[in-house]
Amino acid sequence: MTKYITSERLPELWARLADRGPLYLPVNEGTAVAFRAWEEGKEVNLEAVNSTVSPKEIFLPAWETYLKFERAGKKLALAPADANGLARPVTAFGLRPCDLRAIELLDLVFVEQDPPDELYTRRRKNTTIVALACSQPDPFCFCTAFGIEPTDAPGADVLAWKTGNRLFMEARTPRGEDWLEENSRLLQEAEGVEKPPPVESADFGLALEGLPENLKGRFEDPIWDQIYRSCLGCGICTYICPTCYCFDIQDYGHQEQGERFRCWDSCQFSHYTLTAGGNNPRPTRKERVRNRFLHKLQFYPERYEEFGCVGCGRCLRSCPVGIDMVSVIRALGGETVAR
Amino acid sequence: MSTALGKTGEVPVNGASPEKERWTPLIVAFCCNWCSYAGGDLAGTSRMDYPANVKVIRMPCSSRINPLFILRAFQRGADGVLVAGCHPGDCHYTSGNYYVRRNLSLFRRLLEFSGIEPERFQVSWISASEGDKFAGVMQSLTEEIKALGPNGKWRDSRWQSVE
Amino acid sequence: MAERRINNMEKIRTAVAQDLLSGRIDLLLGWEKGLYWWQSRPLFARNSEDLQRLTWDSFCVANLSGYLQEELKENKKIGILLKGCDSRALNRLVQDQMVDRERVVAYGLPCPGLLDPRLLKQEAGLELTALGIEEGEDRVTLTGTKGKSIAREELLLEKCRRCHHPDPVGCDQLLLPPVGSREDRSRFHQVTRLEEIPAEERFAYWSSQFERCLRCYACREACPCCSCRECFVEQEEPRWLGKAHENSENFIYHLTRAFHSAGRCVECGECQRVCPVELPLMELSSKIIKDINELYGEYQAGLDTEQDPPLLTYQPDDPAAFVE
Repeated sequence: MTKYITSERLPELWARLADRGPLYLPVNEGTAVAFRAWEEGKEVNLEAVNSTVSPKEIFLPAWETYLKFERAGKKLALAPADANGLARPVTAFGLRPCDLRAIELLDLVFVEQDPPDELYTRRRKNTTIVALACSQPDPFCFCTAFGIEPTDAPGADVLAWKTGNRLFMEARTPRGEDWLEENSRLLQEAEGVEKPPPVESADFGLALEGLPENLKGRFEDPIWDQIYRSCLGCGICTYICPTCYCFDIQDYGHQEQGERFRCWDSCQFSHYTLTAGGNNPRPTRKERVRNRFLHKLQFYPERYEEFGCVGCGRCLRSCPVGIDMVSVIRALGGETVAR
Repeated sequence: MSTALGKTGEVPVNGASPEKERWTPLIVAFCCNWCSYAGGDLAGTSRMDYPANVKVIRMPCSSRINPLFILRAFQRGADGVLVAGCHPGDCHYTSGNYYVRRNLSLFRRLLEFSGIEPERFQVSWISASEGDKFAGVMQSLTEEIKALGPNGKWRDSRWQSVE
Repeated sequence: MAERRINNMEKIRTAVAQDLLSGRIDLLLGWEKGLYWWQSRPLFARNSEDLQRLTWDSFCVANLSGYLQEELKENKKIGILLKGCDSRALNRLVQDQMVDRERVVAYGLPCPGLLDPRLLKQEAGLELTALGIEEGEDRVTLTGTKGKSIAREELLLEKCRRCHHPDPVGCDQLLLPPVGSREDRSRFHQVTRLEEIPAEERFAYWSSQFERCLRCYACREACPCCSCRECFVEQEEPRWLGKAHENSENFIYHLTRAFHSAGRCVECGECQRVCPVELPLMELSSKIIKDINELYGEYQAGLDTEQDPPLLTYQPDDPAAFVE
């Protein structure tokens, strides 16, 4: 089933969707772009490739309280906290194919485990994903290197693409069909078979085949001494990355009452691996940088047979000192032609 | 926390209502051990009246103040914060209050720049013999903050007053 | 012009090569090209091969002084390329005794102000990959746009538009001719604008900014003046800052970070430049600098290492910003 809506009518669609439950889509925040719950007055940006911060926030918020506790005498009363996006149906609109693939990679960690992560899984089940095909990749995009098609998003419920003034939407799953049906009052039937016009991203000449095997035994490679040098030790790369998922669990409150929350954490921070007693198995930036890249390029493939990177290009754009996935893969020798 | 004047830190209903009348602000006063804290003692032993909603925290010197103390107080329920120390020239450690005068002047302006009403953060020099000044400062500060109403700015959304 | 740039590059390379290859310095901190022509990144050069990658262009934005503390643990003597702002950061670190000046060879690079790739893209209306630039004395020509030419001043990074001291201060040698001071530029117009709006609006403004903070701490890590061995953010006893991205926690983080740099901030603008969500962090530091100037006399950190930093000194008759 393929339908379309013209650009002028999109605000009506946003209002209708937001009525039904939280609607997350890319909005402008100054010159940055982030996925936010839509409300009147937000400036939606369906052109941005890619959003400054990845849409993983929809499923894994930067922080959320999930448990409240209170002491009454000798008893401790526990109650799950009401968390946003768990009860009502959510629409995630405008995720790019690379971001969608990243969410499938997160599913491997959070859903396809025993036991699965409840908060993530519930959000995932509650959410209809409308992916948006890319019509113009950014200079930093390199999803093609990871076998992602910028105009296709196999895991989406609905695939949308823009042609001129029209935003086409094609249902890919039964849930996607229902979603289109629910909103059919605002949508028009597409005449004939429409397809998004094909585009390709750069691939920076990366050759990824065999890289995970190649990296085995290179844990102590002197190249890491060079790669990490200029790293500032900030968490930009991990926080904007669509596939980084590390979190911490902490309590807020005092002896009588409080709440437990989880929040993003980053393997680039010294406290990430700090243990009680003061030992730190990753004491310097070198071990931390190495961990981040080996995790994406070796450990993830070993465990899940997939790379832990989707080539969204965010770290290429935002790392203040140019330690990005492409530079590091090149330094590790994952290139077709030597420069 | 309940005081003689009512519950502290609770947000009253807007407009002139009995609740607002009853509301008393929570004020945290960081007092230098050598002067203002003793001034407070003098006010107490002289049976001078000052509002009981002021929570006094004893410091070794006004220059012991870390701006984080002030931010944390606002984050966890304070409607106003006071730092009280020795008069310039009278510091027990010679010059602590001279340094803190610069420090807190800049910090007060930064707080104001962030959107907090400057009246909510005040600094006063009160000597050990000025029990009356101590009581007066606490009274006028309470009145001023009462007129401003409760502070919700930069308050932790999870914070709850302790009954 | 292109020729002059190549000559400049040779001049710089020759000067530093002499010292690096003769063993006077063990390491040279400079820049090399990144992935694209509009990206340059830090270079840690140890040999002549590394030096071939050395670059000095309008995108060498990272302030390298911040690396000194760490690198001096492993190297006896380090050479470093410094723009005006970077040199002030070095001087301020030396003044705080965080860096031993005797172990640093400072090469000064008078800086014409660095270009903002975003503005280039905006002016050209083209993807940067389809664009090139030619730099003249005061103008930049965008190639690929039928030769559109724009005043350099209009293409500068936000941090460079406020810079008063493009010429490095206190270096061992200047590798290029000085460009002259730029005290005509306005440093505080944004701060003044914010000071003038009502408190409620200002609160709303900062709320909406801090709310977006990712708490990646890039502003802290990139700051050459954040030199504490342990930051309050990581302190456990007492735990000053919670890890939740709650807005009051974000607010405490940003105000404290800015305040800790009071009297230290050299206005290099790295905090704002590195912020992935582009928070206007320079305004916090600028506000403090403006107030220092108003209350305790003009002070620009890292210009004169003999002058006492304003928060480490006092006058008995100092004014106060509160009713005493």
